[in-house]
Amino acid sequence: MNQLVSGTKDLYISQFLSSFSVIQMAEDIEAMLKLDWDIPKKPYPPKLITLASGEKMVVREASREEVPILLDALRPLITVSKDYYDVVAARMYAELLSWYRYRSRNEFCLAGVIDGVLVGLANNRHINQKEVWSHHTIALKRGGRVGAHMFAAKHEYSFEYLGAEKIYVVAESPIGFRRWMVEWNLKKTDGIQHELHGATAWVITADEYFKNIKPRLVFGERPVPEDLLKQSMQLKIGEADVIKEK
Amino acid sequence: MSEKQLTAFKCIRCGKINYPKRPICLNCRGRDFTEVKISGEGKLLTYTHLYAIPEGVEQLPLTLGLIEFEEGIRVIGQIEDQNVKIGDKLVPVWGFLRKKDGKEIYGFKFKLASE
Amino acid sequence: MSREVVVIGCGMTKFGRHDDKSLMDLLVEASIKALDDTGIENIKIDSVYVATMLAGELTHQTAIASALADQLGLLPAGAQRIENGPASGGSAVINGYQAIASGVCDAVLVTGGEKMRHVPGDKITDLISTMTHPIAEYIHGVTLPSLAAMFTRLYMTHYGVTREHLARIAIKNHENALRNPYAHIHQRITLEGIYKGPEAEVNNPVISDPLRLYDSCPVTDGAASVVLCSAEEAKKLGISKPMVKIAGVGNATDTLALSERKNPLVLEAVKLASQKAFKMAGLKPQDIDLAELHDAFEILELAESEDAGFFEKGTAHKAVEEGVTLLSGSFPINPSGGLKARGHPVGATGVAQVVELTWQLRGEAGERQVKNAKRGFCCNFGGFGNNVTAIILERV
Repeated sequence: MNQLVSGTKDLYISQFLSSFSVIQMAEDIEAMLKLDWDIPKKPYPPKLITLASGEKMVVREASREEVPILLDALRPLITVSKDYYDVVAARMYAELLSWYRYRSRNEFCLAGVIDGVLVGLANNRHINQKEVWSHHTIALKRGGRVGAHMFAAKHEYSFEYLGAEKIYVVAESPIGFRRWMVEWNLKKTDGIQHELHGATAWVITADEYFKNIKPRLVFGERPVPEDLLKQSMQLKIGEADVIKEK
Repeated sequence: MSEKQLTAFKCIRCGKINYPKRPICLNCRGRDFTEVKISGEGKLLTYTHLYAIPEGVEQLPLTLGLIEFEEGIRVIGQIEDQNVKIGDKLVPVWGFLRKKDGKEIYGFKFKLASE
Repeated sequence: MSREVVVIGCGMTKFGRHDDKSLMDLLVEASIKALDDTGIENIKIDSVYVATMLAGELTHQTAIASALADQLGLLPAGAQRIENGPASGGSAVINGYQAIASGVCDAVLVTGGEKMRHVPGDKITDLISTMTHPIAEYIHGVTLPSLAAMFTRLYMTHYGVTREHLARIAIKNHENALRNPYAHIHQRITLEGIYKGPEAEVNNPVISDPLRLYDSCPVTDGAASVVLCSAEEAKKLGISKPMVKIAGVGNATDTLALSERKNPLVLEAVKLASQKAFKMAGLKPQDIDLAELHDAFEILELAESEDAGFFEKGTAHKAVEEGVTLLSGSFPINPSGGLKARGHPVGATGVAQVVELTWQLRGEAGERQVKNAKRGFCCNFGGFGNNVTAIILERV
């Protein structure tokens, strides 16, 4: 009888222990899988940019909570092959979704907003404080150099506020190539494969940024007027120009 | 060994100096020319720094200028120096211009005359 | 004795990007609009002129005038392609005019068109550069923007023209185009955005200094078309719309190489072509109410307006300061938006200028109507000013 009782107690104890460890294990796994910021992070101070049309674009950091709206903006572009919007939108969708679900280390995203409507996005990922993979830049409003300003802004954030020393850049579309590799006079690396699926990376150093880029390509007024900043926080999604162009 | 020389073409009939070479004189429609060596310095009339460079050109930006010589001819050409201003004195120099259809093209370009 | 020639029909496609249409589709669309605009069903056309600079190179189709005559069911009319660089359109209209004035034809169709947006920008720039002197210019890496830039710097140095003057011309043309449903670019631009603000460095980057992005016209697809006939024929047909006659034409050439011009600041071919047109029309520049000029680069709007005789040399920029050339000014230039904003499908432009002037002189220009427009002038500029056409239209 003692054996039976002790056996039952063991059963109870082991069942209790195993359910406890399932929860513990799940928490341990999530702790292992979760990725977030592990380097110092200063916030990006929002700025206001005047486009050729005279329109004012607020450039500010997007929050993790906003990602579902950003994904809504990108989703229709995943099937638009013109100018490689499909590849850029699909990859950026994955990057932002990963960031949202805590599966991306040191990722940030900047948003460009005009009259409360999202017009551009740009994101980077820091390997560590000093080295950065440039991820993507997408312009929902075309013909106004939104992309050029957004690309410059994410470099500004990494170099001037996050302590970067080297940013590795690739382009998927010929337009991107002309705007960045050519206009920014980037240097091709000796075979470093970019984490964006293996293209040979180009690089810009902090020194080159401050000397050649900042004086002529990085602009914006700070601080952003209160009302414009507030308006930019209630993001609205319009129809991307590239879809209208069809 | 022949030294490359910037050469213009003087019409035998009316004396007008033509550059570049043409089959018929621009002024009097004469057909015979003698060669005129363009020596000395040219004056820079206007210039530009071209950022949208054509394929095969390796200088970015490409500095181009319109240069006037004493002999009364003007020439458009690449300028080796980037920091130029209107009125600068330039001299012709033979050099690599660009690649075109896989070939290397050489010709006259210009540089600031040394003091 | 030459006969009076009138424009009895005109039309154009929207200028812009037409990925789903071929060059022939565009030419046909514009031609049908012009033919229908005459109000005469099955009008008899004696000859077809097609203006296009790059049809062979860009869309792999040569002898395109013959093909258009076929597609429009106008056989057995005569047909010719007219190629004169960017002045192809003006030249085609002049050829059509000459055919009727001389009595050889009674009615002709003139259509200009180009399809270019499907080709990468640097290939377009290179093909356009083939207009320059092969030895004195092209081989050195000269492109049209670089020639325009050097010309602009000369103008700035000699006459005090500034970047702001050029920006104001671009802003005016963009503004006018907002009222033109056929224009390529419908985008308002501001002085702050393209010139005054620090962001202008990114918004309006240097292409070839001092020339910037907003100082030059876009690459455009499109076609424009006019039907010309003799005045007597028009009467016989019973044309109901107000009649616009071609009062004067002129065409002149200058040295191929910019370096060989008598005076690099003066567009001699513009001067001579304009003088011929004015002489033929028995008119002077002050008799003209509005002009469509060839602003492939905004500096050219300034220079052409002077060399055509509307302003004294070196003073047109002052007129810009005073707003003289605005739509609301005393001498509107490029009410259509010009090449800058209406767009520049190379072969179509010269014909589109005649279409715009016809609409203006008939009172059909809608929100961009110039009041009491009775006489209009247009200038189509080939190469870098080495072949220019000038046409004067007058309401009958």
